[in-house]
Amino acid sequence: MRARFLAIVPALAFASVAIAAERPDVKGLFLLADYPAISVQPGTTTNVSLKLQNIGLAPERYQLSVSGVPAGWTATLLGGGQPVAAAMPATDASVSLDLRLDIPADASAAAAQTLTINAQGQGSNVSLPVAVTLAKELPAKLKVDTALPALRGTSKSSFEYQLTIKNDAGRNLLVSFAATAPRNFETSFTEAYGTQELSSVSIEAGKSKDVKLKVRPPSTVDAGSFPVSVTVSAEGATAKTDVSLDIVGQPRLSVSGRDGLVSARAEAGKQASVPVLISNTGSAPADAIELSASSPTGWKVEFNPKIVDKLEPNKDVEVTALITPTEKSLAGDYMSTLRASSRGETASTQFRVTVTTSTLWGIAGAGIIGVALLLMVGAVARFGRR
Amino acid sequence: MRREGSAFQGLGTVVLKELSDHLTSMRIIVIELLIVLVAFASLYGATERLRDTTQEDPFLLLKLFTVDRAPLPSFIGILGFLIPIVAIGLGFDAINSEYNRRTMSRILAQPIYRDALLLGKFLAGLATLGVMLLCLWLIVIGYGLFALGVPPGTEEILRSLIFLGIALAYCGVWLALAIFLSIVFRSAATAALVALGVWLFFTLIWPMLAQFLAQLIAPPDLAYLLRGLPSPDTVEWQQILARFSPNQLFGECVLALLSPTTRSLGPIYVEQLQGAVMGAGLPLGQSLLIAWPQMVGLVAGSIVMFVASYIVFQRQEVRA
Repeated sequence: MRARFLAIVPALAFASVAIAAERPDVKGLFLLADYPAISVQPGTTTNVSLKLQNIGLAPERYQLSVSGVPAGWTATLLGGGQPVAAAMPATDASVSLDLRLDIPADASAAAAQTLTINAQGQGSNVSLPVAVTLAKELPAKLKVDTALPALRGTSKSSFEYQLTIKNDAGRNLLVSFAATAPRNFETSFTEAYGTQELSSVSIEAGKSKDVKLKVRPPSTVDAGSFPVSVTVSAEGATAKTDVSLDIVGQPRLSVSGRDGLVSARAEAGKQASVPVLISNTGSAPADAIELSASSPTGWKVEFNPKIVDKLEPNKDVEVTALITPTEKSLAGDYMSTLRASSRGETASTQFRVTVTTSTLWGIAGAGIIGVALLLMVGAVARFGRR
Repeated sequence: MRREGSAFQGLGTVVLKELSDHLTSMRIIVIELLIVLVAFASLYGATERLRDTTQEDPFLLLKLFTVDRAPLPSFIGILGFLIPIVAIGLGFDAINSEYNRRTMSRILAQPIYRDALLLGKFLAGLATLGVMLLCLWLIVIGYGLFALGVPPGTEEILRSLIFLGIALAYCGVWLALAIFLSIVFRSAATAALVALGVWLFFTLIWPMLAQFLAQLIAPPDLAYLLRGLPSPDTVEWQQILARFSPNQLFGECVLALLSPTTRSLGPIYVEQLQGAVMGAGLPLGQSLLIAWPQMVGLVAGSIVMFVASYIVFQRQEVRA
């Protein structure tokens, strides 16, 4: 710590020496403006920063005035935010002033008007001419740009645009943003590398900042291109840029039973037809949906039709699954998985199939009892004599 | 001489008389007391075990019939064992005691045919056993309500009622056998001993013999032996042979009806269980279908046995 402090002290000493050495031998009162010739748009209000600099003079009261103001224009000198009429800079100090120009909308766009600002003291007198040109179009004070204005993705993805906002105005601005997107699209602005959502950001004069625009389309959106316009604005200045979302549709399949019923009954060795509903809840049509099933060994599962050629989004189609349990299957419940797949997109549902067995042998059993009873009747007829 | 009128004239009288004899006889009272006692013991064991291993079961009440606790057999185990003894006890002296008391010719001097006498005795025995079984059934249901506090469902009641019917058919087989022997042997003691012998044969010896015979008929396949599995042919033969015993038929019926998860009573191959939802009960109709051959066997067996005794009785000289 000590060593560092020691290192800084000589550097500072050198700097002050350098300033003292380079300081030009100027003395007097100066009225300064960064930009003494400006362009403004009729109907707007413009501020011109001024500075009353006193170098090497004793403090004195200076009367301020503006002359040469065209008719209809209003020129006000502001100091510390309020109208002022005089200023008094200390020796080797300056006073900041603002010239506010209210230019009516109907001002004629003739040649440049020259306004003269005077500072009248006792003995010394300075004046500064400020040339004001009326212009229809002003160079932008704000600029917003994006490197990648068109992104592509599915309705599930989140679209992120990097926006660079540049403040070309001569002073620091609090820039607020807004995005106009189609209905039900969700937009939010965040820091470039952060998650905090923003509505405005302050940008220093001449600097730029990166913000991120995140757009989340509704999951039910159809495929297509959607424009989003971003507006950044600050103190009357606005800038606009357009970005677009290119949403690629995706089929999404689901398999279910009719009325949501995913159970079926089938007799062992006999074909049972089960209605199966295939729906496309995605945003693009599904082509060539193939149907398949995995069931217990020996079972036969066929579909009618085997392949669904095309299924539009938000439509469903009913196919018939023909399930044949083996002859040898035992009575009871079995799980069978029915699957629909279309180019990488697949959906499946488990069906519970209750297998029953044939009642044919039941009838045979009743026959056997019948035979036994017949035997009894025969015996009674033959021997029933005493 | 051809007979006149209905063969079953006087049937009602015989049934009522025999029934009142049975229900008041000391023999039956002792046997029934024995059964009720053992039934209570096994029920107590079952409820204790059900309470210890409580799990959700849609057929909790049916478990009362089938669950056992170590020293005591389950309720149906006791029934399978004791029903033949009661039936034999009721039937072993049905006909020959009439001869020994010299009352046969007196009865037949009444307007009662032999048909009616034999059928009456059979039906009265069956009715006595039916009353006993119904009481036991009510005890189980009542005790289940009392001890478990779970009301029985419709399917449980239906299944246990069908079980009651099967138990009655099982009674019928042994009763018909006992009556048959009481016709064949004039001495009641011989009839009783032979009946008990048959019962012992089917309960203890036949299961072992069936296994032995099955291995003789279909020698175990070496391919299965090496993997430590029973060969299917042998198992099938063993089951076919074992099913000649009414005990086996009764046991299988009861298993299918009182354990609804039973899918088959025969050997099951692994591939038949692929994809099966385990622990899911079968509907009553399917359970009945599984047990149907066994039920038919019991009912037809008792009818055939009765017909045999009928024929023997009709051909007998009764005037001795």
